[in-house]
Amino acid sequence: MKVTRRDLLVWSAGAAAGLMVTPAPWKILDDVSIWSQNWPWIPQPAHGPVEVRQSFCTLCPNGCGLRVRIAAGWPVGVAGMKTHPVTRGALCPLGFGAHQLNWHPQRLRNVQHHGKTSSWRDAQAAFAKARNEGSVVVVDGYPGRAASAVLQRFARKQGGSYRVVASAESRALAPYESWSGLPSSDLGYDLENAQTIVSFGAPMLDGWGTPGRFTQLWAERAAGISDPELRLIQIEPSLSRSAARAWKWIAIREGSESALAAGLARVLLEQKLVPAHGPVPALTIAEAAKQTGLSADAICDLARSLVARPPVLAIARDRDPAVAALNVVLGSVGARGGIIRRGHKTETYLSADTEISNARAVLIDSSVPWNFVPQTEGETFRFAAWGGGSTKADWLLPAFGFLEELTDVPTPPTSAIEIYAVAPALAKPTTDVRSAAQFLAALDADVSSPEKIIHGRCAELFRARQGTLDAQESIHIEKIPSLAKFEEQLWSGAVWVGEPSPVGGLHCELKSWPASAPPAPRENWASDWPAPVLPPLASKLYRESNLREAPERSKV
Amino acid sequence: MKLARNPLVFGFGLAVALFAGWFVFPRVLYVQKHQPLDFLHKTHAEKSGIAECSECHTLRDDGSFAGLPPMEKCAGCHSEPIGESKAEATLVNGYIKSGHDTPWLVYSRQPANVWFSHAIHVKRAALACTECHSTYGESDQVRIHEVNRISGYSRDIWGHSISRLRRTPHEGMKMSDCEGCHEKHNVEVGCLGCHQ
Repeated sequence: MKVTRRDLLVWSAGAAAGLMVTPAPWKILDDVSIWSQNWPWIPQPAHGPVEVRQSFCTLCPNGCGLRVRIAAGWPVGVAGMKTHPVTRGALCPLGFGAHQLNWHPQRLRNVQHHGKTSSWRDAQAAFAKARNEGSVVVVDGYPGRAASAVLQRFARKQGGSYRVVASAESRALAPYESWSGLPSSDLGYDLENAQTIVSFGAPMLDGWGTPGRFTQLWAERAAGISDPELRLIQIEPSLSRSAARAWKWIAIREGSESALAAGLARVLLEQKLVPAHGPVPALTIAEAAKQTGLSADAICDLARSLVARPPVLAIARDRDPAVAALNVVLGSVGARGGIIRRGHKTETYLSADTEISNARAVLIDSSVPWNFVPQTEGETFRFAAWGGGSTKADWLLPAFGFLEELTDVPTPPTSAIEIYAVAPALAKPTTDVRSAAQFLAALDADVSSPEKIIHGRCAELFRARQGTLDAQESIHIEKIPSLAKFEEQLWSGAVWVGEPSPVGGLHCELKSWPASAPPAPRENWASDWPAPVLPPLASKLYRESNLREAPERSKV
Repeated sequence: MKLARNPLVFGFGLAVALFAGWFVFPRVLYVQKHQPLDFLHKTHAEKSGIAECSECHTLRDDGSFAGLPPMEKCAGCHSEPIGESKAEATLVNGYIKSGHDTPWLVYSRQPANVWFSHAIHVKRAALACTECHSTYGESDQVRIHEVNRISGYSRDIWGHSISRLRRTPHEGMKMSDCEGCHEKHNVEVGCLGCHQ
């Protein structure tokens, strides 16, 4: 019997059909996928003794408490620290996979000058030349750290300036700074004592502020309750996740938040719903209704519901003087459940958002978000742990990655209480990296080192004998026998928590209603720290499970 | 004539593929390896009076599972050969006297991105050892260790049944097996419970 080409084809078709109903192709697919996880060039967690250490995330200024699982000296897992006084075990999706970031293919491993590989020696020589030729501006994204103090001292000593890139939450506090004269870095939101929170587009349940702080309050006092103890009123053009879960969602036109705040203030003052007397906004209720797309009656109803359950706190998405002025009218500034002063800082920072003129060199710390572009003609020296951005920088300098550097953790921007913690270096850098503070200290030894400053700060806190140390339990600092013991506790993951600040101490007086500010561009969906890269675990949680709203979905 | 021939050829191809896929493939996929020693659970239970699994398979102070007992524990009885078997001579001369750990082949080795705690399952969930390990603690022979030629992991991860259709309750250590058991016991863990 002759075997034809047709026979072979028919036989193959039969074999292929038969193979589909055997385990072979599916099992091979499964095995190959597992085999591909173990390719030799894929980094694998080390095998060895496992220990769990406590530390703090330094990817953004929120400083969440971490429990880090370390195998054979390398971090292999991250979870939230349940004893942390602010985050109480919560972490953002990025934080959960942050230990993977150090191995990301886009990790910066070499000094780069205009895209070409260079050396630390050349970078230092170029910076030294630049500082001799003109002024130096240092830009920081996480002020208040010991490393920030080094940057600040260097800038001052050189006659240059120290500037800060603030988060949207910090920028929302800026109007109070200009009215009270107190630094916005010392102000916080007393969410825990508020009964009504009116959010003007702030993503309250979708990444606003310190992870877990508001979501846990909402879960305890509002979730699933028709008349909740904590009322969240979300004012936003689209049905965001916060809006969908809020007690009340008020849909207004994009960019009309200031007009609504002015309209509400006018109703509150005209109908004497608040004790304040002014200043009355120039915008009439009818004009506010026209701009926001709401009816005048709806604005009046909203104003009445604001004062129905005090204390009430208005929160802006970004800098919005009208929303801040509404808080002044509501009597929520310097009051329980409102905007409060948490410490005794007096220093204000220059913003890096304005033009940096006449600078010969601009040094950007690795804490500055990737999407920040300095408006300058000067030579830029940018520290970063990861590449992947398209930002202009003359020099790209590889910085420490996640948990690779000893640093201290000051109070998060929106916190109502002062905290202080120390994040020890738990991971070994795998390449020649330096921090901006080390880079500057090598040029000028007088600016001290972050480690010395951290010791100094610990000593200062210990001498003040105020506050508690939160670890497994909360201990008053007076019960800690020595500074060495205090430092030992801090180095192993304890958090110093300051005394609750007394109400008052923050007074804002409005002479006139603030002019409406142009609406700030909507923040990136990655919130405070727009990562140039994402760890695989975050990709999974963040992108595929759609935990956060992507920018293109934020408008209806 | 051609019309009758085509279904026949097609059917032949189908039959060959079915036979190869169901009977030849599983035999080719796994390579068989023998353990370095013939350790018999049953003999140890009967002759040494070891009644509980935890007498040898202990949890450390920090709750982590120590796995197999240290060589010192074996040396307690086997400092000198007991009997004249080849396995006994290998144990005493090859491992106990030389101080080398026995290179056991591990049936349960999982990828590095999987975290499993015996302590949680035994202490918190109060699961009996037999729930997952069946009656292996009473066995009188050492199982052959079958290694997947592609993935490099033990056949025990997938389970003995290639189709995974007629598995016994304690067979298989794939993620779906963990999920199935957790569902059965109504315990929610989430992704980060195991993939930390």
